Amino acid sequence: MPNIVFRGPVLRSAALACLASIAAAALAGSQTFAAATIGAPITVPVPAPQKGSAESLKDEYRRPAEIPFPASNPFTPEKLKLGKTLYYDTRLSGSGAQSCASCHNPGYGWGDGLAKGVGDGMKELKRRSPTIVNAAWGLIFMWDGRAPSLEEQALGPIQAAVEMNMPIEKLLERLNSITEYKTLFEAAFPGEGITPAGIGKAIATFERTAISGWAPFDSWIDGDAKAISASAQRGFALFNGKAQCNTCHVGWNFTDDSFHDIGLPDADIGRGAFLGVAVKMRQAFKTPGLRDISRRSPFMHDGSMATLEAVVEHYDTGGVARPSRSDLIKPLGLTVEEKADLVAFLKTLSGSSDVIAQPIQPR
Amino acid sequence: MKRFSTFCYAFAVFGGVSAVAAVAADQSVHQKGRVFSVEALKVKTGEAVVFVNDDTVPHNVMSTSAGNEFNLGSVAPGTAMPVKFDKAGSVQVICAIHPRMKMTVTVD
Ligand code: HEC
Ligand code: HEC
Ligand SMILES: [Cu+2]
Repeated sequence: MPNIVFRGPVLRSAALACLASIAAAALAGSQTFAAATIGAPITVPVPAPQKGSAESLKDEYRRPAEIPFPASNPFTPEKLKLGKTLYYDTRLSGSGAQSCASCHNPGYGWGDGLAKGVGDGMKELKRRSPTIVNAAWGLIFMWDGRAPSLEEQALGPIQAAVEMNMPIEKLLERLNSITEYKTLFEAAFPGEGITPAGIGKAIATFERTAISGWAPFDSWIDGDAKAISASAQRGFALFNGKAQCNTCHVGWNFTDDSFHDIGLPDADIGRGAFLGVAVKMRQAFKTPGLRDISRRSPFMHDGSMATLEAVVEHYDTGGVARPSRSDLIKPLGLTVEEKADLVAFLKTLSGSSDVIAQPIQPR
Repeated sequence: MKRFSTFCYAFAVFGGVSAVAAVAADQSVHQKGRVFSVEALKVKTGEAVVFVNDDTVPHNVMSTSAGNEFNLGSVAPGTAMPVKFDKAGSVQVICAIHPRMKMTVTVD
């Protein structure tokens, strides 16, 4: 045990007994190979979850005032202009037919409205195209978390044979042959020329500006008691109470940026490809945010649920019970009315839809 | 045994004598709010660190650092797990569920 300094004879003897018991427990649970030794579990008091007022609960859902841009890639209008142009440019793909916007289209809540993405040669991808809305607040990217940043992520789909199928050298050559791109890159990254890093930084800057609009839910959080229906308000209480959706869909963007198996029946191992030693990561996927959720059915990494009603039904049954399923997923016993209330609440999270002007592509 | 351990733990971490609590607290890592309470910790070879789930959700604390591998699995709120480190070196500790949770235990 660690070098805890104990004071006084009574305390010292109690402490020594403690150490002995913990050491014994540690031995009892010891593993035989060269590894750290895990002791027996100890029950500890956990402060009861604070029964905060409805108002303090609302505080957890207030929209942030600013977009966070990383110090390694600060915002500039020049990067934004270049990034938006690249994002919409189909010449970033080998076929010349697909851009990032083909699969992450603002018209479909920055997804594509399909159950599974469709890549190079019209071939179906393994998973659904997720939204990029509010990605500025993301911690880790892709359903299985394989991309650590938006800057790095952007270069993935361009080169992936199944997605845009465009080798990076060929892309640099192509962009260099377009005079206006030289001007755009020079403005965004003076003296650096056209580089993969520049492409990643510019696209990431544009993606960080894709933000969910002000929603009825925000007006309600802001104090307009009539902004959402009584049913939706009950749904909010269920979301944070009986249905415990908020144990994973945390905060204003409704995600913990973490990985859980919610018991979907398909065979994709998700996060298990990287952390398979942890049983709970087999078939775990990243928690999606829920902003603008009603704009981007079908739902889940496999696009297997067509409606929000189907999603709530799934959580109510708890899905497939298996060792990897999160301990937070279990049958909920919701009534018909409660299910309707949850759906009503989810529908208040979609914001005003601004028209997004597509850039004129440089020739 | 269980009740005794509970007492022990309460003694070590929440102990009424503040001097004890302060020192003892250095040896435990709390997880409230989906973060580790410390980013780095030093222990001597053969000493234990107690990983305390005082949060409202389960955590899966683990490490794949050679010689000090461990995996606590999904640990329910209200449970503390002692882990004894037997090999000198730097142990990268993560929570498999929550990628924000990372810390280092230096064993020397
Ligand atoms: C053919 C469809 C397709 C194209 C084209 C495409 N993506 Fe994706 N995108 C996907 C799919 C599918 C995923 C999820 C893959 C996975 O998790 O395994 C994804 C994931 C992402 C994510 C992660 C989102 C998150 O929250 O984890 C980002 C960001 C992203 N794409 C940005 C881009 C950018 C930038 C481009 C253009 C350079 C692009 N995508 C091109 C289909 C596409
Ligand atoms: C254990 C964590 C956890 C809990 C609890 C949880 N979710 Fe989820 N939620 C997730 C994960 C992870 C996914 C993605 C699963 C996948 O695709 O494999 C998801 C997906 C969703 C989606 C689809 C999002 C999309 O873009 O496809 C909706 C809607 C949703 N959850 C709503 C809810 C509601 C409502 C509740 C409460 C009844 C809830 N969630 C409880 C983790 C959780
Ligand atoms: Cu955790």
